Amino acid sequence: MELIGLANYAVYMAIFIGIYAILALGLNIQWGFTGLFNAGIAGFFAVGAYVSAILTSADVANRIGGFDLPIVVGWIGAMVAAGLIAWPIGKICLRFRSDYLAIATIGIAEIIRLVVKSEGWMTGGARGVNNVPRPFGDLEYFQSQLAYMLMVFLILGIVYFLVERQIHAPWGRMMRAIRDNEAAAAAMGKNIERRRLEAFIFGAAIMGLGGALFAHFNRSITPEAVDPMVATFLIWIMLILGGSGNNRGAILGVAVVWIIWSMSEMITDQLPQEYAIKAKYMRVFIIGLMLQLVLRFRPEGILPEPQYTDETNKEKVQRGSPASDAPTT
Amino acid sequence: MKLTSLAFTAALAGATALTSHTALADVKVGLLGGVSGPIAAMAPPMLDAAQLAFQQVNEQGGVAGGQMIEAVVGDSGCNPQNGVDSATKLVNVEQVVGLVGPQCSGAVIAVANSVSVPAGIALLTPSGTSPEITSIEDKDTVMRTVPSDDYQGRALARALLERGTKKVAVAYLNNDYGTGLAESFKAEFEANGGELAGYAAHEEGKASYRSNLAALTRDGADTLVIFDYGDGTGLTILRQALENGFFENFVGGDGMKSEAIINELGAENLTTFVASSPVGTASSSLDLFNDAFAGIGGDPNAIFVTTSYDAAFLMALAIEKAGGDKAAVAAALREVSNGEGEPILPGEWKKATGLIAEGKAIDYKGASGDLDFDENGDVPGAYAMFKVSNDTFESIGEMK
Repeated sequence: MELIGLANYAVYMAIFIGIYAILALGLNIQWGFTGLFNAGIAGFFAVGAYVSAILTSADVANRIGGFDLPIVVGWIGAMVAAGLIAWPIGKICLRFRSDYLAIATIGIAEIIRLVVKSEGWMTGGARGVNNVPRPFGDLEYFQSQLAYMLMVFLILGIVYFLVERQIHAPWGRMMRAIRDNEAAAAAMGKNIERRRLEAFIFGAAIMGLGGALFAHFNRSITPEAVDPMVATFLIWIMLILGGSGNNRGAILGVAVVWIIWSMSEMITDQLPQEYAIKAKYMRVFIIGLMLQLVLRFRPEGILPEPQYTDETNKEKVQRGSPASDAPTT
Repeated sequence: MKLTSLAFTAALAGATALTSHTALADVKVGLLGGVSGPIAAMAPPMLDAAQLAFQQVNEQGGVAGGQMIEAVVGDSGCNPQNGVDSATKLVNVEQVVGLVGPQCSGAVIAVANSVSVPAGIALLTPSGTSPEITSIEDKDTVMRTVPSDDYQGRALARALLERGTKKVAVAYLNNDYGTGLAESFKAEFEANGGELAGYAAHEEGKASYRSNLAALTRDGADTLVIFDYGDGTGLTILRQALENGFFENFVGGDGMKSEAIINELGAENLTTFVASSPVGTASSSLDLFNDAFAGIGGDPNAIFVTTSYDAAFLMALAIEKAGGDKAAVAAALREVSNGEGEPILPGEWKKATGLIAEGKAIDYKGASGDLDFDENGDVPGAYAMFKVSNDTFESIGEMK
């Protein structure tokens, strides 16, 4: 075990956690603050990844492309495209409540996945989009990883700042009001449908950005990456475990889940050879068990949602309905 | 208290001794497979076949001066996220000298781009068939023992036209394997005067494909070309096409050359079925592998086990040739299988190490073919057409 090797591994983990933290923040806007059960993260992840990859890569014979635009343009394109796709989806689906919305969004994510897999003229089909430029990709292995990590952290920091700002603004209070008591919010004259749509699009655009960062990191995006297991449900587990409604909790949840997931393979590798393959399934079990335990014993997550009240009206709020977004469905 | 700390120190010393021992005596090779995920059923036999190669190497004296090969299995999950995670661990924490795998094309592309190429580690995939792997900017470190779908699809198209089949319908599995084969087949078939009466992708794992099949028959082709896996969806499609009489003749790619088809459907129903598959010129190679793999309880007809074995054995040969130096493994891979030198068959490790020690050139003739790498790290592959006879597959001639 060399030190540089461990450092490399740590940097990789940090990159991955950074990218998934952006996805989790996107989900937090939708679920944590607005209560929209979006189970179609993979769809927006895919839109962002593909749009950015196609916009920035060189021309290839069998699909559209050849725009060769700067990477930043690709990222903005990814956010815009994910937001634009989210608009009609939200228009139609946000009439549904909780579970029904989840079912509808799972379906939509599957539609998007099958479209990118089947429409080869647009996305390269099963082959995917390859040779996507990577920022700092020409450096040495370690330097390149380190530079990418710093870049992801910078973007994560900006996203975190923007989301926090938005949540502490009157807009954020309004969203929580809609989440916790829709009828009361409507009675106060809030346009519920419109606000929900705003949150849905805002979250989707951030997910698109996460997808774009992922595609550039691997210099490629293939339909295999849009698997609902790793691109939707994993993020849900991370958010629930970390604490939905709390942005720091979302980031912490991503780190905890991914570190356990990744490091557990090194522990199972210590088992004798004949168990080497079987042990891999154990890891999937551990993640499932972890979610069960958290839901049972700490449904609010590691870092619960802060109450966002100031001293003067604290008593009043607590006497009302204590905001609890425990997923009790 | 004293006792505890004493025991702790002893345990620590023991652990240190153990780790330093393994660090000295082992060469680690990463074995990346889609253990969990969509190919979970295919992955274990492939990993077993690769382990068999390392077992033979270890039994016959080990690699690079008597060191044992230790295969560290990583789970690529058949997706880029888990593949890159696992590969990063193998390359950086386990410090492997080479990677055998990942098994799925999407994971191969992601791992190559973000781990193995930047780190300068050789990557040899036994089942990543996507034509995109050819064009990775890989500094000559990414290779494969399975031919790109491009080659096989074209060879099959030419062979069918030669047999006088001018009009076919194509049903292909919508993943990189099926799409790659179908696209290259279509290009070659149409360029040489063939006509595609139907051309449609299908998703895997459905209960019925009758509507897909009915749509394909619409333009009156009597031959159906299936690019799918014979122990999966391909079997369902073939069964339903036979049951309902949708087509008369059936042609498959190498994925369809599976014993499962004969076992499930019966040889008597498969008289009009032919399948193409890569073959080696040294046919005894395959027999050697089959015997050895059956000897450890494996099924030699499982898909991609021959390419997995070959990938592992080639990796071991390259490590021997490179003297255990991980930076030289990729170049050594070319040298041990470039068509020139003394032929080495599967399992002939002692002979190979002897020749390498004498400084003579060797040329590995694998169970899945000759495996002479071209400039892109691809193997062209020689193909033969197989028909079903006496409950097994029998070659009816080479395809060009």
